[in-house]
Amino acid sequence: MSALFSPRSDALLKLVLGLLAGGAIATLGGFMLYVRTPYGVSQNEQLVQPVMFDHRHHVQDDLIDCRYCHTTVEKAPSAGIPSTGTCLACHSQVWNKSPLLDAVRASWFTGKAIPWTRVNQLPDFVYFNHAIHVNKGIGCAECHGRVDQMASIEQAQPLNMGWCLQCHRDPVPRLRPLDQITNMKWQAPANQAEVGARLAKQYDVHARVSCTTCHR
Amino acid sequence: MPSLGLPIFGQTPAGGTPAPRWRSLAERDGRVDPEAGTYPDGEQPPPEGFSRRSFLQILGASTALAGLAACKPPREQVVSYVKRPASVTPSVASHYASAVSRGGYAVGVVVESHEGRPTKMEGNPGHPASLGGAGLHELATILDLYDPNRLAGVRRHGQPVAWSSFLGELSVLAAAHAKDGGARLRVLAEPTSSPTQADLRSRLLVRFPRARIDSWGPIADDAARAGTTLAFGRPLDPEYRLAGADVVLSLDADFLATEGDHLRQAREFARRRGQPAGMNRLYVAEASFTVTGGVADHRLRMRASEVLGFGRAVAAALAGHHGLPQLGPLGAPLTGDRNRQATAVAADLARARGRGLVLAGRRQPAALHALVAALNEALGNAGATVVYREPALLDPASGPDRLELLASELRAGLVDTLVITAWDPVYTAPADLDLAALLGKVPNVVYLTSRDDETARAANVVVAEAHPLERWGDLRGRDGTASIVQPLISPLVECVSELDLLAAFVDQGQLGAFRLVREGWMARAGDAGAGGSRASDAGAGGSRASDAGFDRAWSEWLAAGVVTGRGAAPTTPVKTVLATGRVAAALKAVPPVRAGLEAVFAPDDKLLDGRYAENAWLQELPHPVSKLTWDNAASLSPATAARLGVKTGSVVTLTLRGRSLDAPVLVQPGHADDSVTLPLGYGRTVAGPAGTGVGFSAYALRASAAPWIDAGLELKPTGRKHALAQTQEHFSMEGRSIALSYDVAELPKAVHELEEQRGPQPSLLPLVDYGKEEYRWGMAIDLGKCIGCGACTLACQAENNIPVVGKEQVLTSREMHWLRVDRYYEGSEADPETISQPLACVHCEQAPCEYVCPVNATVHSDEGLNEMVYNRCVGTRYCSNNCAYKVRRFNYLDYHGTVAPQLKMLQNPDVTVRARGVMEKCSYCVHRIEHARIDARVAGVKIGGDAVVSACQQACPAEAIVFGNLNDPASRVARLQQGERRYDLLHELGTRPRTAYLARLRNPNGELV
Repeated sequence: MSALFSPRSDALLKLVLGLLAGGAIATLGGFMLYVRTPYGVSQNEQLVQPVMFDHRHHVQDDLIDCRYCHTTVEKAPSAGIPSTGTCLACHSQVWNKSPLLDAVRASWFTGKAIPWTRVNQLPDFVYFNHAIHVNKGIGCAECHGRVDQMASIEQAQPLNMGWCLQCHRDPVPRLRPLDQITNMKWQAPANQAEVGARLAKQYDVHARVSCTTCHR
Repeated sequence: MPSLGLPIFGQTPAGGTPAPRWRSLAERDGRVDPEAGTYPDGEQPPPEGFSRRSFLQILGASTALAGLAACKPPREQVVSYVKRPASVTPSVASHYASAVSRGGYAVGVVVESHEGRPTKMEGNPGHPASLGGAGLHELATILDLYDPNRLAGVRRHGQPVAWSSFLGELSVLAAAHAKDGGARLRVLAEPTSSPTQADLRSRLLVRFPRARIDSWGPIADDAARAGTTLAFGRPLDPEYRLAGADVVLSLDADFLATEGDHLRQAREFARRRGQPAGMNRLYVAEASFTVTGGVADHRLRMRASEVLGFGRAVAAALAGHHGLPQLGPLGAPLTGDRNRQATAVAADLARARGRGLVLAGRRQPAALHALVAALNEALGNAGATVVYREPALLDPASGPDRLELLASELRAGLVDTLVITAWDPVYTAPADLDLAALLGKVPNVVYLTSRDDETARAANVVVAEAHPLERWGDLRGRDGTASIVQPLISPLVECVSELDLLAAFVDQGQLGAFRLVREGWMARAGDAGAGGSRASDAGAGGSRASDAGFDRAWSEWLAAGVVTGRGAAPTTPVKTVLATGRVAAALKAVPPVRAGLEAVFAPDDKLLDGRYAENAWLQELPHPVSKLTWDNAASLSPATAARLGVKTGSVVTLTLRGRSLDAPVLVQPGHADDSVTLPLGYGRTVAGPAGTGVGFSAYALRASAAPWIDAGLELKPTGRKHALAQTQEHFSMEGRSIALSYDVAELPKAVHELEEQRGPQPSLLPLVDYGKEEYRWGMAIDLGKCIGCGACTLACQAENNIPVVGKEQVLTSREMHWLRVDRYYEGSEADPETISQPLACVHCEQAPCEYVCPVNATVHSDEGLNEMVYNRCVGTRYCSNNCAYKVRRFNYLDYHGTVAPQLKMLQNPDVTVRARGVMEKCSYCVHRIEHARIDARVAGVKIGGDAVVSACQQACPAEAIVFGNLNDPASRVARLQQGERRYDLLHELGTRPRTAYLARLRNPNGELV
């Protein structure tokens, strides 16, 4: 009686087993790598917004401070998306016939809100609070990047938990004076370790890493 | 390790008498028999109709598909305001004051609103009926706002009619009725104290002088007012001031949970409990076990019909032995043990003249209320612990008498148009009236209701009623304090208020309740003249300046939730003159107590008269005493049950006055013998999915002649069984001494015992010193103050987005309440004492749950909080298995994913909504801590030791729960935890819980022990 399996089948079996094990590891590893890529965390993703709002123009050319539109950033968890009324405070006077602003005027006259697409999106179980960050010396640009150079807003940082914790474990390198919070061009000085430590003391910075700091 | 000296279950402690504690009769007798189809705690029944093979097939398929589905979360939209209201800061909650009606009287509430979306109702600290506490119904009312089964618009025979055209029809109808002065027009209204409605009613009666407005409330205080009429010649509302009462005798009055200003009364009562100095003493004579009976120092168990005799025996003892001869004609001594009790109570009351209080329950006849008034007058309590006020209700009589009168007119065909704004009279009316049939004889029945119900089916036109958070209105408290009811949201469905509907009959339906209320108050403020109050500024003749003055006062009233100024202030207590002769005659006219089984009707603690039957929070809340959910049951005493051969869950046929009803039985330890308590409010035939067919309707046996206590009940077992979903048998702590209570005289001796139940225990684990942290959060629960009402459970549910699971899930121990109130019995089965113990996660510093979590989903914070991290949890449930306190809750099913979309508007955005497969538990309201922390740190200050208030603490009417920073020695919680009554629950385990309990103290009368 001939053998049930040819001598080659042993190697084949090893190959299949190897592929299965390798495939499993590669799949798992692939997913773990994927969620760490900028694509996986939606970093720098270009999004279409209902109004082609250009931060470059408003920040650089018009020198409008962030807080003019994002009014509640210093006192509330949410920085606040400007109301249609805020847009039209200026645009009822300037560019009041521009077709680019059709959607804004339509919103005003119909009373229907502008449906912006969220750019910096955190999971529902994360409770981020703008007020505490900007009051303790974390500038807008630390998380939002150089908004003054963005034609359309994109997510500048990974916004995953590891990235948050970098700063929560050691905020000193990123602390800036409170009068520089909205300054997009601020650069850390050469002696930031020293300045930051002083600021941390001055502002009583206690970056917490307990789970319920953000997850409630 | 030193001996703990704890009593061990089933063993007799050395040198003492056995004091076994038990949670149910089954546990006491050691027969926790798992019935067919039930499983022990936490055990899952095997899946049905789903084989392991098909499970694996689906598992494989879903794994294969997982890669496709889980690429990225979908992009959200952010929607900004078009014009942002100045008062709204997105992501920051606003709070508005309003009031809700309880039996027609106002209870002040503060409503939390997130971007215009009301999410929680709390008590208003500035309102005299709330003082900051909230009862079950104040807390649960908000769920009704988002009920997907609410009615919308106007319907005639089911066909929608536009409100505007309906207004036109009403105008024509009203004009027709005006021709004969409204002789064939009747209104059956909800009892109310609204000043605006008073104005409206007087305008209605000017246009329709021959019409009549009757009030109907199935659980009205008519007997109490009839009693004051006997005693003083006119109907008056007693107001009890428990702060000054050293000795309290409650004659069947559940004044801590369901009667009177129970929130204020509970607070005043509890302030005299707990600490040994200045303790009051409470005697309760009652048949059914109530919340008030549970905290009594002496609960005198007697049939409801015997309470009157007991009151007379007390009067006789006072007249005979304590120099109060004016009580002689009212008294009648009893014999035997009962008389000994009455004598002891009388002696105690006589010792505390002017510092005592006697109360009578709404169930009791008018003669007893009159007797109680006489007792309080004779003892000098009147004017001190009880004052009398003119009833603030527009119509003090709202009991069966008025309904009977209306029914006789309906029967005679004297009514063409009946407007019903009272809640569901077809369901709540005494059975002998047969209101449903009578309504068929009326050509026009216009019914205002928020949901489809029994009366809506009998009415021609059904008008959808606005929720209290959607409408303008006003109400008075029992003391006359007025509050404006303000809406927090524009109506979610097309609906109107009672004011709108009644105004339509005087052709003012298009005005809207806002103008009616505001202009009414403008007139009242104007009438007040130059009274020196702010509101009276508006009275200077309608000039612009005075308009501005009124506007300012109006805004202040809305902000405070209480109207200030003339015409709004509390009424002054009236002077009373007692008519002893009339009281004596009334007492003589009371028929003697009949032997045999007696039916006692009781408003349900949760559903009241049934208007909350569709409220799933209340349906699922364990009843304060019986711990029953999703059902009512006929309760009777163990001895009576044994005599009749029934046990808990047996279905019996109850027959009373020729009417029969099938109901399940609940054997209630401590119930009076030969008496059956029938809770009202269940057995709705037309309600929504939550309320229809739950329990039995005791109204079907209720007669208008005897609406509360009725003799001659017959009870026959049917042999059938009904599964009652009690949470009582679950989470048994195996009889160890968990909830400690001592007599106040014993406390010096007990101090040593308590010391052994606190302090450090040896541990193998490294100890973390939290003393150096800025904040060390902790809680103290005073069992001496806790009345066990369950408001904390409900407040927690509302605050923390806790789902409702339904009866089937409760039967398998899967209720989700983070905070439960355990109720223990002590002593004999026939006449036990109870003790209630609120229990949530105690935040062990050495938490057993943390060591066993394989994924670090439950960990300690730097401040020692036991944190539950939902996003890490993979649902092994090891933590729950290892939790000594059994306070962890697991989402077995997707409870949130299946609710109606508008119910999602109710959810608190500060708390994560948990998904299926995730463990959850009390977080110490960590979102409130973090909010306080961020506010304090932005302001550059420390969080005050008492600044963070947990949701349960905020609601507790008795102030039994105190939360705060233990590292601040001045904080209330730190001081309480240093006290001599403090002990740690399951201290022997060395878990170092952050929640400490304060042992309960009882203040029994030595003569009765």
